[in-house]
Amino acid sequence: MKQAIRALGWAIYVLWLVIIVFTVTAVYSAFQVSVNFGEQRPPSVSGSDMIFSLPFSVENNGFYDISDLSITTVVQESNGALISNSSTGPILISSGNRVDATHDISISLENMTSAGLSRLLFYDTDLNVDMSLALKYAGVIPLKISTNFTMPWGAPLNNLTFGNIVVIPYNSTHVRTMLPISFENNSIFSLNGTVRTEIVNTLNQQVGDATTQITAPPQSGYSTTLAVLVPVSSSLKEARLYFDTSVFTYGPVVIPIA
Amino acid sequence: MFPKIVKAMIKGALWFVFLYVLPTLILSSLLSFLPEGAHGILYGYEQLLMVFAVITVFFVVASELTSGTIFQHMFNIGKTLILMVFIVLALEGGIISIDFQNINIVADLTVILILLLAIDLVGLAKSVLQAVNFLSEKAESQLPTPSPKE
Repeated sequence: MKQAIRALGWAIYVLWLVIIVFTVTAVYSAFQVSVNFGEQRPPSVSGSDMIFSLPFSVENNGFYDISDLSITTVVQESNGALISNSSTGPILISSGNRVDATHDISISLENMTSAGLSRLLFYDTDLNVDMSLALKYAGVIPLKISTNFTMPWGAPLNNLTFGNIVVIPYNSTHVRTMLPISFENNSIFSLNGTVRTEIVNTLNQQVGDATTQITAPPQSGYSTTLAVLVPVSSSLKEARLYFDTSVFTYGPVVIPIA
Repeated sequence: MFPKIVKAMIKGALWFVFLYVLPTLILSSLLSFLPEGAHGILYGYEQLLMVFAVITVFFVVASELTSGTIFQHMFNIGKTLILMVFIVLALEGGIISIDFQNINIVADLTVILILLLAIDLVGLAKSVLQAVNFLSEKAESQLPTPSPKE
């Protein structure tokens, strides 16, 4: 029995040695890992997606590999509606190696035309951003670092305002309806495209339509007058606007005609 | 031959230095690498180190004072069991979560926890075997010594 007791004693010493050596080398190696974030590039627009790029580099001079490194960014509206879920990885950074990568946060403007997010086209707000970094250190220690912050959002059709509709005689059969509109493009992208205006009578029949070009640079106001020819005898009910731009399509915006 | 109590106090003092004073000095040196807001997190771990050191020193002193009796092995078994519970509580079941300003860090130390519990289980087995060995030796010593027949 004394041999068994002695053997267990040695087993305890060996296990303690393993834990102490692993802990000391793991802590030392962790301090040898350097993470650098590059200069944040201005957001770009690709099709109907707005992309925020965050370049970063990780240099692992420790003893252990960093595996399954992934960065996830979730962007939500203040009421919790999901706007974007972007992920980069998994990336393996072996001991003694350096990895350069870019984390792209993509926000689809086309998704904002859905009922749940359409208010983002018309109202400035703050978006909630949850960013998390997950990795596995030395193959046995999963680690997750997360943070959250708010990001200001400028609406492309902020403060969309309609003036009084003016009816001007055009010829013997038609009159011209003039609808002034104005808005502020508080977003970071240019708003280039068209506005199609449909005039509907009290029988819910379309009696006239016209397409007007709009060009609104970012962070600027824009105003124009939409002109539509309608038959003289029409009893007008409402105007319906359809926005078709390079980054999103939305409509109808219904304006009652008194 | 020192009296048992002096030997126990010296052992207790040495274990206290090894388990609390030295780690505290190392933690203090780590403070220089961390931002000010993180100092409060390390203060929590200093308290855990203190509790761990007090438990260990208490049982080391008690074991030394009762050396040569069955109570020594009972204290060793009790120390192992209490330390197993303490380790599980200190490591929060293996999942450690730290909140610092706006950042949350979650580390899964299950592997470390399993290794520490394995050490304690082996230590528990050793203490039980030592207790059994002590009792068997005591029983053997109380047996009448057979005298040779003429």
